[in-house]
Amino acid sequence: MSVDRLREELVTLLPRLRRFARALARNPQDADDLVQTAVERALLHAAQLRDGAPLAAWLYGILRNAWIDEQRARARRGRLFTAAESGEQVADAAHAGPAESLAVQDALGRLPDEQRLAVALVLIEGLSYKEAAHVMEVPIGTLTSRLARAREALQAILGEP
Amino acid sequence: MTYSEETLSAYADGELDAATRAALETAMADDPQLAQRIARHQALRAQLQSAFAPVLEEPVPERLLASVRGAAAGPRAGNVVALQPRARARWSWPQWSAIAASLIVGALLGPPLLRPGADASLVDTRGGRMVAGGVLARALAEQLASSQRAGAPVQIGVSFRSRGGAYCRTFSVQEAGGLAGLACHEQSSWRIETLARAVSEPAGEGFRPAASALPPAVTGTLAELIAGEPLDAAAESAARARGWTR
Repeated sequence: MSVDRLREELVTLLPRLRRFARALARNPQDADDLVQTAVERALLHAAQLRDGAPLAAWLYGILRNAWIDEQRARARRGRLFTAAESGEQVADAAHAGPAESLAVQDALGRLPDEQRLAVALVLIEGLSYKEAAHVMEVPIGTLTSRLARAREALQAILGEP
Repeated sequence: MTYSEETLSAYADGELDAATRAALETAMADDPQLAQRIARHQALRAQLQSAFAPVLEEPVPERLLASVRGAAAGPRAGNVVALQPRARARWSWPQWSAIAASLIVGALLGPPLLRPGADASLVDTRGGRMVAGGVLARALAEQLASSQRAGAPVQIGVSFRSRGGAYCRTFSVQEAGGLAGLACHEQSSWRIETLARAVSEPAGEGFRPAASALPPAVTGTLAELIAGEPLDAAAESAARARGWTR
């Protein structure tokens, strides 16, 4: 795909990429950083993508990799700033909407990374199991069992209706 | 036949093959407990989607648009996080609680409509609420159940007056994998009260416009909202002539 074409498509897809990143990173600024990294990487590798290939899934994959890189970098930094950051998240979150959606966002944030990723791709972004497994680079069976565990955990956290 | 949670969640995710889905829907009709287990999965999906849906409505930050254009990117918030307090995000959540409320039954809305190739304009948001857009809005305003074409992209089912006095109509849409829903006329737009995956039918059999094809979520909302009897052909036509106002 030409870089110009990709730029056009990206403008349309930015809101969805931002939503995906927000489900992974919680903190809005961190989420937009992830989107920015993904956009830059995508533009660098535009030539790898053939026309007609599933662009959104490709971009989700790039963003997922950027997120994993960031998680590792954070772990290396030894979480020096964890306390300050989490305090800030609470402050941000207070402006993020009503109690119900806050509870949902918090519950999602408590899941292990791989489960959160599965939830973000399938339940929030609406990818099929096949597409989501492809983005996560795992077999479908692995995806569905992560999804099942994630659902169970979310339902337990959020309480039965 | 007992169903595993994995099968039920696959149903909520639209991942079952046609035969299993049909069998499950038949079983669901006679088994309220089964229906409730499925509803739990659908509700979780709806909760997650409504919690994150407002992100789509936020203006995209200029720095992201700039990086798409390839312009010099601005400084990243992440690099300065620990050194100075960040500016607090300015949230522009439009009528947040309204979204949460209106999305509860919309468990199946997001995925099919957001897949590439789907007509995303079927549904808009206005003031934070889901309203019909594009071809759906036109059909709701113009199309009469008594005279619609069999192959029309939107099929109108039942029209009725709600307890609140508004005109409401059920509809089915072939696009996006088949959706059915219920919308009520409100301030010159059609507010979507329910949207669900249409009851599955064997491919090639054509589209069934009758209310019998509506999924349980839609008939449930219908039963909840309707005041009196559905409109007959004459009343439907008269309501359209008045622009669906009282």
